[in-house]
Amino acid sequence: MTEYFVKLRYYPGDPLEEIREGDLKSFAQKYGVKIAYEKIENREKRAGLLMENTLDKRIEDITQEVITVSGDREGGVSECIRALYKKYRCPRTAYSLLGSNAAGEKIAKGLMNTYGGW
Amino acid sequence: MKILALNGSFRKNGNTEILLKQALMGAEVEGAQVEILRLTDYKIGPCRGCGLCLFRENVCQVKDDDVSFIFSKLAECDGILLGSPCYFLELTAVIKQLIDRCWILGHQIGKIKKPAAVIVPYATRGWIPYVFAQSNILLNVMGLTKINEVAICTQGISEVVLDQEAMDLAYRMGKEIAVAVREKDLVYKGEEGVCPSCHDWLMRILKDRETVECPTCGVRGKLSVVDGKISVHFEERAWADSRFLPEVQYNHFNYHIAPSKDYFLRTKEERKSKSQKYREYLPG
Repeated sequence: MTEYFVKLRYYPGDPLEEIREGDLKSFAQKYGVKIAYEKIENREKRAGLLMENTLDKRIEDITQEVITVSGDREGGVSECIRALYKKYRCPRTAYSLLGSNAAGEKIAKGLMNTYGGW
Repeated sequence: MKILALNGSFRKNGNTEILLKQALMGAEVEGAQVEILRLTDYKIGPCRGCGLCLFRENVCQVKDDDVSFIFSKLAECDGILLGSPCYFLELTAVIKQLIDRCWILGHQIGKIKKPAAVIVPYATRGWIPYVFAQSNILLNVMGLTKINEVAICTQGISEVVLDQEAMDLAYRMGKEIAVAVREKDLVYKGEEGVCPSCHDWLMRILKDRETVECPTCGVRGKLSVVDGKISVHFEERAWADSRFLPEVQYNHFNYHIAPSKDYFLRTKEERKSKSQKYREYLPG
């Protein structure tokens, strides 16, 4: 059985609205998938602005919100990711799927091209 | 007060130059010192895509051309008039060449508060869909605020002088820029378009077929037809996503570009091995 494992990395300014764990739980239930959520916050307030030096950091260590979707039904994973893209828009960096497995990345990338705009 | 006109036309005393000079005459009447640069008189090399301006602020690898001179003129002036003919749906190539070189100014977006106006002479109605999108990109990336724009239908060399209405309009726009500088008034005074930020009529339909996006500022809205009229509704919060806002620019540089260094370094061996055959095939 194929396991689909997708990490969606949202960086500051990427999601169109606040990512709430309650909403993610609803999506998990609706589409029969597992969803995990992790928030990494490394910004500091400098001169009134939230700032962070990201140039020499690992991609996984900079400020981001990571939604991990997993499941063994392609349809459920696909529909769930589509719903996440619709709500938050798709993550936008070239490395925003880093950590996904190949089967999951294929679904997430295909939906990005269709629903995320370029 | 200094007003600088940037001319994207190669042609001396053509319609673009005439209109820009007419506008500068208007600015002079309002007390401005004026200058015009014909961009094709200067060497503007292509961006080499080296990324140094992104990874090390204010460093451009291209040192053997006149772009830093043009930027110094931009820094000196208080207001800008941008002119370019439209030969084929867009502004001229020199404008695009300059846009690509403006990455280095990206760090300054939101810091410069100078008014700008755009004048585009063109020949055939309906053949100018991208001109204001392009001028918006250049002005935004230079950190300028557009206060007016106009496209003027005229065809043969210097024929625009026969169009008194167009000449009067250019003159008024020149005065307007000078007044805007003097009164620190950056409010847009031109014709409103669909996008309240860019004031352009261009919209892109996303592939979800539910969302439209201003291709220039990236703000997204919903399209509807009300009483037979096309309408685009933007949620108020959508403006926070405009790609030319200082915070969005900061996030873009800091989270979309800077961390790519990590990805670049960690994929070094794989890239090297997979790109080897392309180094060997048709070596340049």
